[in-house]
Amino acid sequence: MSSIDLTLKIWRQKNNDSLGDFETYILRDISTDMSFLEMIDVLNEQLTREGKDPVAFDHDCREGICGMCGAVVDGVAHGPDRETTLCQLHMRKFKSGDTIVIEPFRSIAFPIKKDLMVDRSALDRIIQAGGYVSVNTGGTVDGNSIPIGTETAELAMDAAACIGCGACVASCPNSAAMLFTGAKISQLSLLPQGLPERKERARSMVAQMDKEGFGYCSNEKECEAVCPKGISIRNIARMNREFLRSLLLGE
Amino acid sequence: MELNSRIPSGPLAEKWDSHRFQSKLVNPANRRKFRIIVVGTGLAGASAAATLAELGYKVDAFCLHDSPRRAHSIAAQGGINAAKNYQNDGDSVFRLFYDTIKGGDFRAREANVYRLAQVSTEIIDQCVAQGVPFAREYGGTLANRSFGGAQVSRTFYARGQTGQQLLLGAYSALSRQINSGGVSMYNRREMMDVVIVDGRARGIVVRNMITGAIESHSADAVLLCTGGYGNAYFLSTNAMASNVTAAWRACKRGAAFANPSFVQIHPTCIPVHGDYQSKLTLMSESLRNDGRVWVPKNKEDKRPPAQIPEEDRDYYLESKYPSFGNLVPRDVASRNAKEQCDLGKGVGSTGLAVYLDFGDAIKRDGEDVILRKYGNLFQMYEKITDSNPMVEPMMIYPAVHYTMGGLWVDYNLMTTVPGLFALGECNFSDHGANRLGASALMQGLADGYFVISTSIGNYFGSETISPVSSTDPAFKEVENDVDTRLQKLLQNSSGGPAGKVTVDDVHKEVGRLLWDNCGMSRNRQGLEHALEELPKIRDKFWSSVYVPGAGEDINQSLEKAGRVADFLEFGEFMIRDALSREESCGCHLREESQTEENEALRDDDNYSHVSVWEFKGDDQAPEMHKEPLVFENVTPSQRSYK
Amino acid sequence: MWFVSFIKTSIGKKLVMAASGFLLLSFLAIHAFGNAAIYMGSKYFQIYADFLHGFPVLVLIFGVGLLVIFIAHVGVGLLLFFEKRKTASRYEVQTRVVENTFASRTMPYTGAWIFIFLIIHVFAFNIGKPEGVQISMLVQQYFSGFFYSLFYIISFIALAIHLNHGFWSMLQTFGLNHPRYNTLISALTIAVPVIFLVIFGGIPIYFMTGGAAGY
Ligand SMILES: Cc1cc2nc3c(=O)[nH]c(=O)nc-3n(C[C@H](O)[C@H](O)[C@H](O)COP(=O)(O)OP(=O)(O)OC[C@H]3O[C@@H](n4cnc5c(N)ncnc54)[C@H](O)[C@@H]3O)c2cc1C
Ligand code: HEM
Ligand code: FES
Repeated sequence: MSSIDLTLKIWRQKNNDSLGDFETYILRDISTDMSFLEMIDVLNEQLTREGKDPVAFDHDCREGICGMCGAVVDGVAHGPDRETTLCQLHMRKFKSGDTIVIEPFRSIAFPIKKDLMVDRSALDRIIQAGGYVSVNTGGTVDGNSIPIGTETAELAMDAAACIGCGACVASCPNSAAMLFTGAKISQLSLLPQGLPERKERARSMVAQMDKEGFGYCSNEKECEAVCPKGISIRNIARMNREFLRSLLLGE
Repeated sequence: MELNSRIPSGPLAEKWDSHRFQSKLVNPANRRKFRIIVVGTGLAGASAAATLAELGYKVDAFCLHDSPRRAHSIAAQGGINAAKNYQNDGDSVFRLFYDTIKGGDFRAREANVYRLAQVSTEIIDQCVAQGVPFAREYGGTLANRSFGGAQVSRTFYARGQTGQQLLLGAYSALSRQINSGGVSMYNRREMMDVVIVDGRARGIVVRNMITGAIESHSADAVLLCTGGYGNAYFLSTNAMASNVTAAWRACKRGAAFANPSFVQIHPTCIPVHGDYQSKLTLMSESLRNDGRVWVPKNKEDKRPPAQIPEEDRDYYLESKYPSFGNLVPRDVASRNAKEQCDLGKGVGSTGLAVYLDFGDAIKRDGEDVILRKYGNLFQMYEKITDSNPMVEPMMIYPAVHYTMGGLWVDYNLMTTVPGLFALGECNFSDHGANRLGASALMQGLADGYFVISTSIGNYFGSETISPVSSTDPAFKEVENDVDTRLQKLLQNSSGGPAGKVTVDDVHKEVGRLLWDNCGMSRNRQGLEHALEELPKIRDKFWSSVYVPGAGEDINQSLEKAGRVADFLEFGEFMIRDALSREESCGCHLREESQTEENEALRDDDNYSHVSVWEFKGDDQAPEMHKEPLVFENVTPSQRSYK
Repeated sequence: MWFVSFIKTSIGKKLVMAASGFLLLSFLAIHAFGNAAIYMGSKYFQIYADFLHGFPVLVLIFGVGLLVIFIAHVGVGLLLFFEKRKTASRYEVQTRVVENTFASRTMPYTGAWIFIFLIIHVFAFNIGKPEGVQISMLVQQYFSGFFYSLFYIISFIALAIHLNHGFWSMLQTFGLNHPRYNTLISALTIAVPVIFLVIFGGIPIYFMTGGAAGY
């Protein structure tokens, strides 16, 4: 274990209405075994002891699964490590003397609430528009009466692995939510359970996505590259197909 | 306080059926007249909110997070049990029931556990119908694995992300109801208190975590689905925001708390590596299927693991428990790891770790097979520790993982406050003194999808509930209490931080106290010591905690402070409960109660009961009531894994 | 109308790009096939041109259709280009994890170049065509000028670059992305532009290098 000294340039913004700016902080003796969020914890303890306002940031599980954490570190959503959420990024990826610039996930659809904390409820509303199978509790058939081949199950699981962190939006030059939406539409269009509603689903989820102010896809592949779960843009192709299908065959 | 568990009469297997028949119903057209508050959107909360809205009730759902999908349930890795007997390996409802009761060391109610086993099969069907991508066999049928030492394969899973997939299923059902207007979702609201009018739970007071506003919400019933309180220990595998606040506030308003000291310590977590550490990461239990646990025989042996020859290694689980070996239950594995470390044989820089070695498994099955089974766990481990388990043995250490204790509920999941229900990890109902792997997800979903609808119908159908609005004086009063408490938390802020302590300082201190004295093994002396120390920490907190910022704003320090303040009060319940239970059982060893071979010794004559604690006032000791446990269908036996 | 509302969506716009791109591509294919007659000599090329103009109504419909498609492609392309300009540079530090291919980065610019080229091209061979000069002769006339030929060659290179990304992008928009076919697709993203480059770009070179001596 070794320790490093760092300079942090962090975006500070009081609330959605106020203007923000960068503040610079110096941190010494950061253990390289720390996670990135633990490093911010240390900064916040330091700020608190100095009587200053700690940096607000979202986080919860710190295991890379809840999708609550996230910030743009040196221009990359979730930082320099691939397939890693910010909470699972470790300080051994940095060198002593580094200056790290930390910004919130920015998008028109993600209003900044404070510092690094943004409102991603737009993603919830996309799911609410159709990211489900309309089945009530009870009265379902036996689980084994819907056979699903392993390949299909695996592909559906690949898509379902999305943690809804919004890094795809944050990294996309167009702030598109295509990877997020594509992953959910894919999961449900691959599985037989999702087929009865497939046309309506693609149409209404895409409509909601647009309404929230997310952009279009220009195939930059940046979303796929920063996705902590490695979700492939193949899911976007699948969504396009589903959308086309609902365009051509929908009523 | 009267404890009526309302267990239906009749034979075990028919209780749930006859209960459903005897329960009152609410006419479908009348359901929309009832409003139900659901606090928490984990497996229990999301499934309950969706199900009740589908039935036609008006539901207001609340969660701490920016989205209901982030509840801590999302982190569950291993799987969910169900008595499907798809593998034809002799499983049945009765066997799942029996395993759960026995796993809980005969400290749970037969009727509740049996019902859990009964509805388990429907849960799987429900989740499949929602599109949960469970693992499949080549023929397209659902795959199962054996989990946590079970003798049958009854665990359903979706890669290492079962909790996530189940939660996303429940969240999708919830989203559908939000879309149709059946559920109003309130994100980023922290429940600060319950409001009781005429002896019934009629609403909650929440803090809007964005604006700081204190808001009142009224309803005809309140469901708490707020998860467990493992974070009382500061370090645990729980998510950072997991808390006891909602349950504790309910307790202070009259809901009794059951078995607060029943806490599960999970044996396979990544060890602590520094005092900046904020949480512990669980490594799935399934690793013990192939990994061998060992420490050096000699405590002075500081060689790297690869240089320690076979004859200098102590595979202590295999030698002590020849028939179960590395697959002994969680409590046994945890306790033995701690024992080895206490003997000075722990490994790693802190000496607080044991090896979990895949060397033999790799030799036996080949790298490919092992990587296919555990590849992503190994990756996660390497990300955190910078060491590759394919090359070097993993290091593991026990960590606080799950709380079996919780709000006391009757068979209907109602607490001792009429109209206040508790579901999921925040109740105490089904796991006794120890929870089996893959059973928490099952219980959360059983409560939410299948049990609560009957209870709610019965409650609304059999009582007359007069209308109440959130402008009722009772709400104002609670709002004032909440506000006063928030102001009190901020009282030290004006003078600046000099000479004060931070919230984390205090949280670490109380966590340490509980871990040392009220953890896996306990004794009278330690517990009495803790009971003396706790009020001192509490005093220090109130007199000198420094919380920056204001209340009318996003203030994460204030949120944390409120939760820690509640842990400081609630901790006393845990310690008192541990002190009063002078037997070893389930997850904990009471050092005064051991067999000659130093194994846990249960005392059925004196402790075959649920300890139910009633809050008596801030300056008064709580009162303990006992709900006796009656076993008519199983005979409590001493567990043996030799 | 449902079609209009579909087209207004983000994916709908992309579908317009892809569909119009596909139609333009199909036109190019036919055009390339016809123009290949040049390599057979002026006689055959003139026969082809005369044959084509034997159906003035068809040519008109084709031309107008092409114009509409072209306007749609350019219009939506510009729309998307400006939308991206609004959001692309919203961070203090800009880092790309995947470096975009040159072709993908330059889509609007190669597109714009093609646009200018087409204006000049259509003016030269259609609107501004001198009376009485046979088209086969005109071609020879124009391409005997070095700079004129060079301009054409550069334009065809721009087109090839545009198609290098455009072809893949079109398939992705139509939802064609499958591991089994992705090697084939990536081969085609090279092959298709190169074929066009060879056929079209070959024409000015054919004349410049004197290969068309017997034309
Ligand atoms: C790392 C890990 C792995 C696990 N693996 C497994 C496994 O493989 N199998 C298994 O069966 N179990 C497993 N468990 C246990 C299981 O995940 C949990 O017990 C279960 O998910 C709890 O669900 P819940 O719905 O009761 O609560 P939670 O999911 O914890 O949800 C609590 C909800 O309450 C809300 N909330 C809390 N307090 C407040 C408040 N004051 N105001 C407003 N809202 C509030 C939160 O926002 C959240 O929505 C695991 C646990 C952990 C920690
Ligand atoms: C013969 C001429 C042309 C052909 C064959 C052609 C073909 C294509 C094709 C196939 C695509 C891919 C569509 C998709 O992304 O799905 C494309 C994209 C594009 N075209 Fe063209 N194009 C031509 C002319 C032009 C012109 C004149 C412009 C002028 C501005 C232009 C601008 C663009 C842009 C900006 C894109 C990228 C859209 C995006 O990825 O978001 N194109 N073109
Ligand atoms: S905190 Fe949960 S994913 Fe990072």
